[in-house]
Amino acid sequence: MTQDRPDAAELLQAVAEFLFAEVREWVPREKRFQVLVAANVCAVVARELRAGEEPLREDWALFRELLGEPAADAPGDEELADEVDRARAELAARIRSGQLDERLDELTERLRDHVRRKLEVARPGYDDG
Amino acid sequence: MAEQPGELADGVRSVLAELGADAVVRLEPIPGGASRETWLIEAGIAGDRAAPGREGEEAARRYVLRRDPAGAESLASQQQEAGLIRLARKAGVPAPEPLHYEPAGGRFETAGILMAHVPGESVAPRLLRKPEYEVARGALTAQLGEALARLHSIELAAAVDVLGPPPADPVVTAIEVWEATLDSIGVPLPAVEAGLRWLRAERPDPAAPGLVHGDFRLGNFIVDESGLAAVIDWELAHIGDPVEDIGWLGIRSWRFGNDDRRVAGVGSLDDFLAAYAAAGGEPPDAERIRYWEVFGNLKWAVICARQANDHLSGLRRSHELASLGRRICEPEWDMLELIGTAR
Repeated sequence: MTQDRPDAAELLQAVAEFLFAEVREWVPREKRFQVLVAANVCAVVARELRAGEEPLREDWALFRELLGEPAADAPGDEELADEVDRARAELAARIRSGQLDERLDELTERLRDHVRRKLEVARPGYDDG
Repeated sequence: MAEQPGELADGVRSVLAELGADAVVRLEPIPGGASRETWLIEAGIAGDRAAPGREGEEAARRYVLRRDPAGAESLASQQQEAGLIRLARKAGVPAPEPLHYEPAGGRFETAGILMAHVPGESVAPRLLRKPEYEVARGALTAQLGEALARLHSIELAAAVDVLGPPPADPVVTAIEVWEATLDSIGVPLPAVEAGLRWLRAERPDPAAPGLVHGDFRLGNFIVDESGLAAVIDWELAHIGDPVEDIGWLGIRSWRFGNDDRRVAGVGSLDDFLAAYAAAGGEPPDAERIRYWEVFGNLKWAVICARQANDHLSGLRRSHELASLGRRICEPEWDMLELIGTAR
């Protein structure tokens, strides 16, 4: 969804490439790392925009399952963010309380999917190998 | 660090005068310090005090000032840090000589230590890639093993004199410190929470407590062309299980892309442990190292969350800090991988 091309992700990608390929060469040596960080931030946001809400829906379903909540239709766009926040906070609190200690092996195994989804946006390829 | 250093310069000048150096020529912030401000200082040397026969050399001395940022605190106070560095130097650990301490409200404004400047490079990617550090890279693994063994050889009583009595259960205390840090941020992280429960469940047998540097990793080593010149950033030092330092050193984040070189991105754990043992360190078993590597990844995840929060809360606005919020998933992943291999 965009008014005109380039869309938001394409614009950010263009800025990332400019920072990475050009600005990095112009700035003083001690600022290069910060330019690299800026380029990377743009690339992360571009990937997040491209990924859309699917990763959040998958997290929502995983968190609910781990909480023992019944399967349900994913919430609509407006409620999704709040619902994921709620389920994430509840799962974190439940784990902290020790109530899920019996299932710790299962948790650390299943949460890999959640972390993998974060990596796909923030650092693709980190989970390879 | 955008403040005018005028008053600070006056304070530094006054301290330097007592140390035999003259006018401050240069006072500039060194970027990179996350929880301490670091300043590079250049001072002239008065003609009559300059060493005879060294007129050809640059008539300047360099110092480093580390001080608390206004409103921030850290695990070890500046004064404790200076005390620990003195102990470490006595034990043969290369570290910058602390020259003068000023308490909060003193001539450095916040609490701070003036230290000797150690020339060299600490920025990890430069150390790992630049050709002029090739010899240093070859020597570093063994030098780190030796330095850490010496650090761990410091007598507990001496460390207690500086830091106070050790906690009853250092492992539980280590977990609680980072759990409390996470709570102070208020960010729900299910994988980190699962890691905290795992760390509580899988605690190793109690170890003989000793001084732990707490941030012994690439980035906190000043390296010159022949190798390790100084171990810096002692602000996370505490008394605990010394193997904590070995686990932290080995986490993937501190390999800066050289993933197959487990120690600082330059060497193997076996070579490191051989040097550690040769210098008198007690070689830990693999399980205990892995435990502390899980802990180290969890700690780094919490630090990333805290740094991002410092930006979000407005304490220190910085895109660099902000970006760390999205790096939490890297140590989370490594932590879950390590827990998986322990099953």
